[in-house]
Amino acid sequence: MSTEVVYVLAASAVFGAGVYGLIVANHLMRKLLALNVMSSAVFVTMLTVAGTTPEGPDPVAQALVLTGIVIAVAATAFALALLVRLVQETGLVSLRAKDDDGA
Amino acid sequence: MNGAMETVGLVLVIAGCVFYAAGTIGLLRFPDVYSRLHALTKADNQGLLLVCLGLAVLAGSVQVAFLLIVVWSVGLVAAAVSAHLIARHARHAGEPHASRETER
Amino acid sequence: MTVGVVVDMMLGLALVALSLRVVTGGSLFRDIVLFILFGLLVALSWARLGAPDLALAEAAIGAGLTGALMLMAYRSIGADTEERPVRRRPGVALVVAVLTGSLVAVIGLAALGIERVPDAAGDAVLEALPGTGLGNAVTGVLLVFRGLDTMLEMAVLLVALLGAWTVLGDARPGRVHRVDRRTPLVGSLLTVVAPITLLVAVHLLLAGTDAPGGAFQAGAVLTGCGVLMVLTGTLRPTAVAGFATRLLVVAGLAAFVLVGAGAGFVGHAPMTLTGTWAVYLIETAMMLSIALTMTLLFARARGLRGEGS
Repeated sequence: MSTEVVYVLAASAVFGAGVYGLIVANHLMRKLLALNVMSSAVFVTMLTVAGTTPEGPDPVAQALVLTGIVIAVAATAFALALLVRLVQETGLVSLRAKDDDGA
Repeated sequence: MNGAMETVGLVLVIAGCVFYAAGTIGLLRFPDVYSRLHALTKADNQGLLLVCLGLAVLAGSVQVAFLLIVVWSVGLVAAAVSAHLIARHARHAGEPHASRETER
Repeated sequence: MTVGVVVDMMLGLALVALSLRVVTGGSLFRDIVLFILFGLLVALSWARLGAPDLALAEAAIGAGLTGALMLMAYRSIGADTEERPVRRRPGVALVVAVLTGSLVAVIGLAALGIERVPDAAGDAVLEALPGTGLGNAVTGVLLVFRGLDTMLEMAVLLVALLGAWTVLGDARPGRVHRVDRRTPLVGSLLTVVAPITLLVAVHLLLAGTDAPGGAFQAGAVLTGCGVLMVLTGTLRPTAVAGFATRLLVVAGLAAFVLVGAGAGFVGHAPMTLTGTWAVYLIETAMMLSIALTMTLLFARARGLRGEGS
């Protein structure tokens, strides 16, 4: 088993875990954590499958992933600002109403 | 690189890892916040020093050795301040002291 | 099987275990801390994959900055807001997760099996790189070959900040939970760490043209300094963005536009950046913009002012 195969398999499992968390989590911040976990998995997969040049991984893929990391943190920061405002306005940390409990 | 230097470097790195392992075991096994912090800061700082020394020997370059000293010092400052703040917060929050309970 | 692959397997298993824990755990605070750990292990994976630029960025931005933002928001919304961590019947979600995970695995493994085309974009970059005066191919792609993407990335950062400002509404700037300053250690920490962070940021910026590093990593390190200063109360959040603040948050985007448009005046096609001076100019502006934008996002403020003023 090569390094590339190991990371593709690990990233797939991490992506699955992220999808699971995104669906089942109630707390919006945990959904955000799950989204960030998913994006890390996507980045690792992207770089791994892009192949290598004599001087390491494909530089275009590296630049794309670097861009992705920065965009991810910008989106997360905005989402957190939305979440904090939501809590200030409604006191809720999930998108489901309080009486929607067991459903 | 001659074999003796390589051996010295590897022994230092492995010794550092032993200190890290000891610190982690302390973190997991010790009963209260204070003794856990004690295990973490003492053992890990020593481990970091040994790993840095070992890597410096392995790299065999003065520039890398200097950078590793910087890494170690910054790690030391960060560990000291964060451990101090955590311990301070724990004491103010009334975190229990395990030894006083066992003295009963 | 070599020792390296065994290390990769341990890293991979740790990543999977941590991600499972992060998405299903019961204590949000602990899971945010575990997420930071996850980010650091991803950074190690980048190093293993031979991408030190990404390792630096992941450690500083993916783990450090995202973690700091998460912890700050966690403190702001109150510690005990999480009642039920997961839904009661996660069966369907489990099926979906397994299916999507398998899909990624199939696509990834299939893509690994494809033979690399001889003149892929990456090879073309390495071939053309000497003409740019840069030694780091990733910086070359970001600043020269795909400069437009990076410019738009700065626009995204700016939009994120403007969005956060809009959401902030007329609320008072976020109450920052400051570190207890009655201990002398915090002051000395700042005295020791602030100059080092500055030095590291500038080093990363300058080294980024030939070695791992660049504006993003430098900006993230500088943000770390900003976060520390906000936490210790050396910088106080304000409700109004001053002129200097506005200027600095658009500096990165503006430098791109000006250098890009300026190329048109000196006889090049617009947006064709040339020369290392352009790269240094844009990267410096980017670093400052990134650092200020992220620090403002962290403090949920429109501006910052010094302690005494």
